[in-house]
Amino acid sequence: MQRPLRIALTKGRLEKDTVGLLEQLGFDCTAVREKGRRLILPVGDGSIEVVLAKANDVITYVEHGVCDLGVVGKDTILEMQGKFYELLDLGFGRCKFALAVKKGTDFYSGYGVKTIASKYPNVTRRFFEAKGMDVDIVKIEGSVELAPLLELSDGIVDIVETGTTLKENGLEVFEDVCPISARLIANTVSMKLRQSEIEALVSQIEAYFGNA
Amino acid sequence: MNKYDRITPEGTRDSLFAECTLRRDIESRLHGLFAARGYSEIITPTLEFFDVFSRKAQPFPQEQMYKLTDAKGRLLVLRPDNTVPIARVCATRLRDAALPLRLCYNQNIHVISPSLKGRDDEISQSGIELIGSDSRMADLEVIAAAADALKACGGEYALELGNAAFFRTLMAELPASDAVKEQLRDCIETKNYPALNDLLDTLPESEAASALRMLPRLYGGEEVFAKASALCKSSEIAAILDDLHALWQSVSQFAGKERVRVDLGMMHRTDYYTGMILRGYLSGYGEEILSGGRYDKLLAEFGYDVPATGFAVNIDAVVKVLSRQQAPQTALPASNVLIWAAKGCEAEAVEAARNLREKGLVVEHSLSETLDEARTYAAAHGIDSVLPIEQAKEG
Repeated sequence: MQRPLRIALTKGRLEKDTVGLLEQLGFDCTAVREKGRRLILPVGDGSIEVVLAKANDVITYVEHGVCDLGVVGKDTILEMQGKFYELLDLGFGRCKFALAVKKGTDFYSGYGVKTIASKYPNVTRRFFEAKGMDVDIVKIEGSVELAPLLELSDGIVDIVETGTTLKENGLEVFEDVCPISARLIANTVSMKLRQSEIEALVSQIEAYFGNA
Repeated sequence: MNKYDRITPEGTRDSLFAECTLRRDIESRLHGLFAARGYSEIITPTLEFFDVFSRKAQPFPQEQMYKLTDAKGRLLVLRPDNTVPIARVCATRLRDAALPLRLCYNQNIHVISPSLKGRDDEISQSGIELIGSDSRMADLEVIAAAADALKACGGEYALELGNAAFFRTLMAELPASDAVKEQLRDCIETKNYPALNDLLDTLPESEAASALRMLPRLYGGEEVFAKASALCKSSEIAAILDDLHALWQSVSQFAGKERVRVDLGMMHRTDYYTGMILRGYLSGYGEEILSGGRYDKLLAEFGYDVPATGFAVNIDAVVKVLSRQQAPQTALPASNVLIWAAKGCEAEAVEAARNLREKGLVVEHSLSETLDEARTYAAAHGIDSVLPIEQAKEG
């Protein structure tokens, strides 16, 4: 008997949204809702189990094939990259990557090399590489909005949802980098060796979105 | 202070005891299998000139190669691939050899993997190359060898077939810039349905575009062929599909239908493939174990225009899968006999040991001062019998 199809979920909001989706599809997610501190939980009739992990780890587990599927934000995919299949845009967790600067500044003016603070150095590097522009990138772990306020950087590349945090700190979006939403990813070998189970789930989700 | 004198570089490791035995066992099984098919072994140097791998069409990404310089300041690399050096040998020293050439190898490649991903930088590969034929029988021979190689590795396996020309032909019919085509390739390789659709929406609707839209989903069993031919009517595509279908039918005859799969969206990391491509999977491992295909244009880059086909097995991956199935080794295997020599009888002991070894026993010499100490040692190490040599030969 094969182990259940294992889905890694990004803890927090994406987890709640995914559980909501699974319940809409008719899977019993009581165990996940009442998980306590457990991290591996059965779903439905036991043919699926859910693993709760941090966003980056979802990709790691799926890449190595210890989880067959994963739900993770496009932001993490763009930053981490890696070898897996990206099957579906799940539609929730929508926001965007954007370049933000202090209100009223023109980011591209002047001849000096710009400094950018970001939690996403790879996304930042690729964005400016595509423009053929040399920038210094500083990796910040916490509130990136601080960096331009403290004059460490000229701008930030970060996730923007409503823009409220930016506004309250005197920053504004200067340019959009790309849109973000939650994605369903799959391990490349699981996709082949457990094709029917994965495709059944994918088409169930697609059908649900089609009707919604 | 030597900060790094007790560890190995990231992506490399020491293999001990049972793991080595397992590795040698798999390597010799595969070598036997290749030899029985008439393949002769060749060994190429670990160090090659950078130029060998920096080819016009699809060079190896330079950030993934370990580089160093020779005494003349020329750029060298630790070989990142086995097929390219073998193509070099065929185009030079084997240029006048009668075709087809059947070559096999068992050697390491080195690639710089992303940090902290738990991947190996040093990978041992065993594989074959069949040089000088573009016949279907050549592809079939290689696939049959691949199926046997996977079977020899033990466990449940799956073989997957594709054709690199399928995607290329569709792309050629597509009115799009090279940059867009490169992005399309990426999307199909990663089965990124959402991004692929977004990208194709920007292009005018055509038969190629709608076929590409479905390409990531064109994988599975025999039903894929019907689905694919319904999508693409062009005669070139139809010929590729017919060829692959015939190949699929022959392969499933000897490997079993359930083990042979098709993925028309399959693409390899190295882009020298031109026709049939294949991958092999072992159940319980998250990546492919075997990979290969037809590369008819590679040797031409070295000035010798002949077709070729082949595959490589990732030995490290097989060892990982198989050692997971074994109980972890905690003790070394015990010898059969411990020979203890009294003072002055050492030469006799060496001779006695040699005689016993000839009978197939594992014999070790006791390094203890007294016979009692030797007996204690034997008991502690699980050696069944102790043979004391106390009488020197008259002489």
